[in-house]
Order: sequence, then C-alpha cells, then structure tokens
Amino acid sequence: MTGAPLPEPAPSPTATDAGVPSTQRAARPRWRETLGLLARNPTAAAAGLVLLAIVLIAVFDETLAPSGPNEISVEDRLQAPSLAHPFGTDDLGRDILSRVVLGAGVSLRVGFLAVAFALVVGSLIGLLAGFYGRWVDDVLMRFMDVLFAFPAVLLAIAVLAVRGPGAGNTALAIGVVYVPVFARVTRASVLGVREEVYVRASRSVGASDFRLLTRHVLPNAAPPIIVQTSISLAFAVLAEAALSFLGLGTQPPNPSWGLMLAEGRGFIDIAWWLAFFPGIAIFLTVLCFNLLGDGLRDVLDPRQRTLMAGGGR
Amino acid sequence: MTEDVLVSARGLEVHFPIRSGGALRRTSGVLRAVDGVDLDILRGETLGLVGESGCGKSTLGNALLRLVPPTGGTVTFDGTDVTSLDRRGLKEMRRRAGMVFQDPFASLDPRRTVAQTVSEPLEVHGLRSGGRERAARVAELLELVGLDPAVAGRYPHEFSGGQRQRVGIARALAGEPDFLVCDEAIASLDVSVQAQVLNLLRRLQRQLGLTLLFISHDLSAVRHIADRIAVMYLGRVVEVGPADAVGSDPQMPYTQALLSAVPVPHPELERSRKRIVLRGDVPSPAAVPSGCRFRTRCPYAFEPCPDVDPALQPVGAPGQLAACHLHGVVGRPVDSGEPVAARD
Ligand SMILES: Nc1ncnc2c1ncn2[C@@H]1O[C@H](COP(=O)(O)OP(=O)(O)O)[C@@H](O)[C@H]1O
Ligand code: SF4
Ligand SMILES: [Mg+2]
Repeated sequence: MTGAPLPEPAPSPTATDAGVPSTQRAARPRWRETLGLLARNPTAAAAGLVLLAIVLIAVFDETLAPSGPNEISVEDRLQAPSLAHPFGTDDLGRDILSRVVLGAGVSLRVGFLAVAFALVVGSLIGLLAGFYGRWVDDVLMRFMDVLFAFPAVLLAIAVLAVRGPGAGNTALAIGVVYVPVFARVTRASVLGVREEVYVRASRSVGASDFRLLTRHVLPNAAPPIIVQTSISLAFAVLAEAALSFLGLGTQPPNPSWGLMLAEGRGFIDIAWWLAFFPGIAIFLTVLCFNLLGDGLRDVLDPRQRTLMAGGGR
Repeated sequence: MTEDVLVSARGLEVHFPIRSGGALRRTSGVLRAVDGVDLDILRGETLGLVGESGCGKSTLGNALLRLVPPTGGTVTFDGTDVTSLDRRGLKEMRRRAGMVFQDPFASLDPRRTVAQTVSEPLEVHGLRSGGRERAARVAELLELVGLDPAVAGRYPHEFSGGQRQRVGIARALAGEPDFLVCDEAIASLDVSVQAQVLNLLRRLQRQLGLTLLFISHDLSAVRHIADRIAVMYLGRVVEVGPADAVGSDPQMPYTQALLSAVPVPHPELERSRKRIVLRGDVPSPAAVPSGCRFRTRCPYAFEPCPDVDPALQPVGAPGQLAACHLHGVVGRPVDSGEPVAARD
C-alpha cells in the first residue's frame, strides 16, 4: 500500500473506508493540473511564454508588420538597424523586421501543418500497431522502418521533387519525414497502456475496441506524444528553414526565415543583420519548443508527477 | 446434472506460447496456465476458487468471461457456448458477467472520474438514456456500494484503496450482471478494510442474487464465505465440493496439504493437527508432470500416478469430487488416449 495517495482510515472500531474521500480537494481537470505544474518549472514556463508571443506574432503577422514584405525602396538598401528600421534593411531596401514578422507566419504555419500531419497519421499508425500487435504491428511498423531508413532531407527533397515547391508541399514533405517518429513514440506508449488492468476492466464490461482506443488507451498514452509534438515542432521549423535555405521550400519573394538566411549569407561581411535576425528567430523558436518539450516531459512523466503532486499514478 | 448451472467449463485450456528470440518470434514451448479444467458454477452460489499464486486462477476467471481466449475446451454461460459468441452475443454476455480486479489502484482509469468509470457499462449497453438518468443511476450504484454519491466527479487518485475497490464493484454491477468474478478482490487491501469489502460483497450477493466466483490464494478466507470450494493446482481443478467438506475433510492430498498449513484456532486441535509438509516446489506450468500433476510433491504417490492423469471422481461428501488415484484409478493414461474408467 505504499504509494497510496490517501491513507486508509485508522483501524478503529468505527473505521469505515466508505463515504467521502478524506481530502477536500475539489476535482480538477487534468490539463489544468498539468499547466499548474508546468508553471512551476521556470525554464519551461518562460519558453512557453516566448512561444506564445511568437505564435501571436505569426497569427497577426500582417497586422503587426510595420511595412509590407516586398516593399522595395532602393534608397533604403542595406541600412543598418536604426529607429526607422530596427532590424535594418536588405539589399532591396525591404524592412527586415517586417520580413521576420511575416516569416514567423510562414515558418510556423509550415511547422504546425507538418507536425499536425505527422501527428495524425503517425499516431494513428502507432495506435493501431501497438494495440492490435501481431501482423498489424508487423506490416505497419515495417513500413515505418522503410520510411525511417531514408535520410530525412532526401525524403523531403523527394516529396518536393514530386509535388513541386510551396508552403503546403513543404509541410507535407516535413510531415512525411516525421510520421515514423510519431508512429514509434505512440506505439511504445500504447504497448504499455494496453496491458493496464483498467483497459481489461473496460473490456470486461463490454466496451468496443474503438471505445477502448479513444477513451482509455489514447488519453493515457498521450503524454509522450505531446512531448514529441513540442520537440518535433522545433525540428519542423528548422527543417523548413533548411529546405528554404536550399531553395526547395518557401519560394522568393515570400519571406521565410530559412530563405532570408540564405539570401543574407552573401552579405554577411558588409551587412550582418540580413542573416542575423532571421537566424535569431529560428534559434529562439527552436530552443523554446525544445525547452517546452523537456518541461512537458518532466510534468507528464507519471512518476515525476506523483512526486510533485503527491497523488495519482 | 439436474442442478441449475450458470457457468460451466469443460476441458478448458488456456495455453500461452513461450516465445524466445524476440524478432523471430519462434515458439519454443507452451505455458499451460489453464490445462483441462472441468467446473460448474451453480446459479446463486458463491464458489471459492483457491490455489497457490501462479496456478492459473486469474487466467481461468478471465477465460470464463473470454477476456483471455481459451485455446481448448468449452465455456458455457447460461446454456450458450461462450467461445463461439459473435460480437453482439459477447457484448451481452459481458453485461451479464462482471469482474472485480485485485489491484484497485490499477483497475480504474486515472484519467476518468468515478462517474465516467461507473457509467461506462451504462453507455456501452445503452442502459439509461440521457445524462440525467445515467447520473441518477450512478448515484444509486455508489450508494449501493457504500459511497457518497457526491464523489462522482472525483478522480481515482483522491481515494483510498478500499474506496477505489468500491468504485470497481459499482462499475461491475452497473450492467446488472448475474455473475461476478472477484479476482483476489480484497487481497491487496489493508487488513482493516478487507472485512468491510468482504461484507459488502456478501451483502450484494444476497441482495442482488448474484452468482459469485470468489478467487483467493487463501483457503481459510474462502471457507467462511463460499458455498462450495474448488481447489486448483498447476492449471487444473483437482478438488471441488461443499465448503464444509473441502474445508474440513479434503480428499485430495494437495488440498489436505493446503489445509494443514492453516492454523486451527483451538490449542488442542492445533497440537493434534497433522501437518503435511510438501516437498519441492511447484513445477513450472511450462513443464507439467505426466499423469497426476501433483505427483512430484505428493507424499502418497504410487505406481499409477505418473502414468494416468486422474479425473475428478465423486468421493467423500455428496457433491465432493477429487482427482486422485487413492480413491480408485480413474483417468486418462499418458500414452494412449483412452480413459481407464468411465467417470461416474
Ligand atoms: N498473458 C499471459 N502470457 C503468458 N503467461 C501468462 C499470461 N497470463 C498468465 N500467465 C502465466 O500463467 C500462469 C498462471 O497465471 P495466473 O492465472 O495469473 O495465476 P494466479 O492467478 O493463480 O496467480 C502463470 O505462470 C503466469 O505467469
Ligand atoms: S493421484 Fe497419486 S500423486 Fe496424485 S494426488 Fe493422488 S496419490 Fe498423489
Ligand atoms: Mg491471480
């Protein structure tokens, strides 16, 4: 009975274990508990706040950008950072701050789309493979192994070569690369959860497989998937930058951090700000998604959770 | 057999393949968790199923409800063959048969409230329509198991072991079952709450007219609540009969050994009690001895024991059956498939 969250009532003649739980703690939804614990981890909380700001910038990019992304002003070419242009201007006189802000929209949209695709497809595959095992597992996971065996960039380039460049296809290309990652993480988590007694208990009252999967297995298998989502977002943003840098992702004149990095590379000696600010944006975003992922891992790890909250298993 | 049988197993087998070498998945043997069980559970009775840990009690309980697929033999529930039920038949069978699990910390989904857990059978079987009616039924069930209905919105981690077990019992009862399997349902509870949960189960059994399969590794605990007792050894039911008879005058050496390990609460009787100390360990269910599976530890083993697998035969009190050649060599010879003598 060690590890019991609440002590059994004292064995007195009138002792009863029935009735009201001995704490008066009100029932709280789990996600609020998670947020509360996350807030107590300063690094993860800070990363979360920065990401929130970046996401807000990405969502309201067109309203927030001081000028249009492609407003060319020849006389303002290659201006160093100043009050008028806090991040300076590029070789065409475009305001870099505006392009970084608009680039956030492009980068994050592609990142989120890519991860959403990988999450949905990969988790579904992992869920079915882990839950049903046997040949379902063999077939699905061997397929994932094949996909995983391709070098990531090569796979993404192949998808883009077939479907052509553009934001949507870039997201698809990155998403395909991450499908096996989500499939594996989900499968591993599901393998543990499917053996839980509460899953058998639910089956014993007649619940269908669909119900077991959606009501019991997936919610309990979710924590590592959530952590993986955060970490994959970091990689997806990085991958979008890399593909754009290689000229395969976002196409000019659209602003994308990776593309700006590539364009600024030629001016690194005379105008460092061209590459510096998009580089910082990529760095900050990737770092924060990783830090948030680490924080989530700490909070969502069941054993860690018991230690911190003093309850639950 | 004219008695009213609710659940019946005939030659029931659950063999697990033993896999070695991970990826290749070669089967290198079989683990005979349940190995030819014949058992009838009568309507309205409490049948105690006892045996040492690992002898296959849980697997048998699960196989009766088809929570573990049997690899051989048959199970009938209220006259229908459970092993050949279709999806709908199986679902209805699972409404009519519930299970209470050993570990109340593992058997409740930590992410679901008490109300969600208890109402799951209602939703699955469409037993009450509408949220309000279901909530009322959940409250009724919580009261039935001695919990305050106000706890419906709480999560399992807010409860003690005994309270959680009551939630588990409420869930098992939600579908208004006829049959309840209690798999060591009080074994992992604190001693102070074991009696309370046991009394609750007895009360519910009477009040709802349940048929109870009460699984326990403790013969002395089962004697007081069971009408009949079945003793299991290495995947087989080796003795079954009225609780008084099996509990005081067992006919199978294994049961006698189990019983002699139970202290008698009377000094003189205790002194005169003859102890049967078993030699050796329980063999692995992956290497079941030939003939009588108990022969490697039996103090009375004699010539036919390695050669003939003993069948249950009527001995001792009315309704008592034991599988032992001391009462006459009855059973299946090891090499030929022909039974030595017909069963009663
Ligand atoms: N799913 C399974 N796969 C393989 N072996 C199992 C499985 N379930 C139980 N066993 C084995 O079957 C035997 C009987 O187990 P069990 O029915 O749990 O015994 P009991 O409940 O009497 O302690 C044990 O040796 C156990 O290791
Ligand atoms: S059949 Fe033989 S070995 Fe088995 S219990 Fe009886 S005497 Fe012992
Ligand atoms: Mg068991």
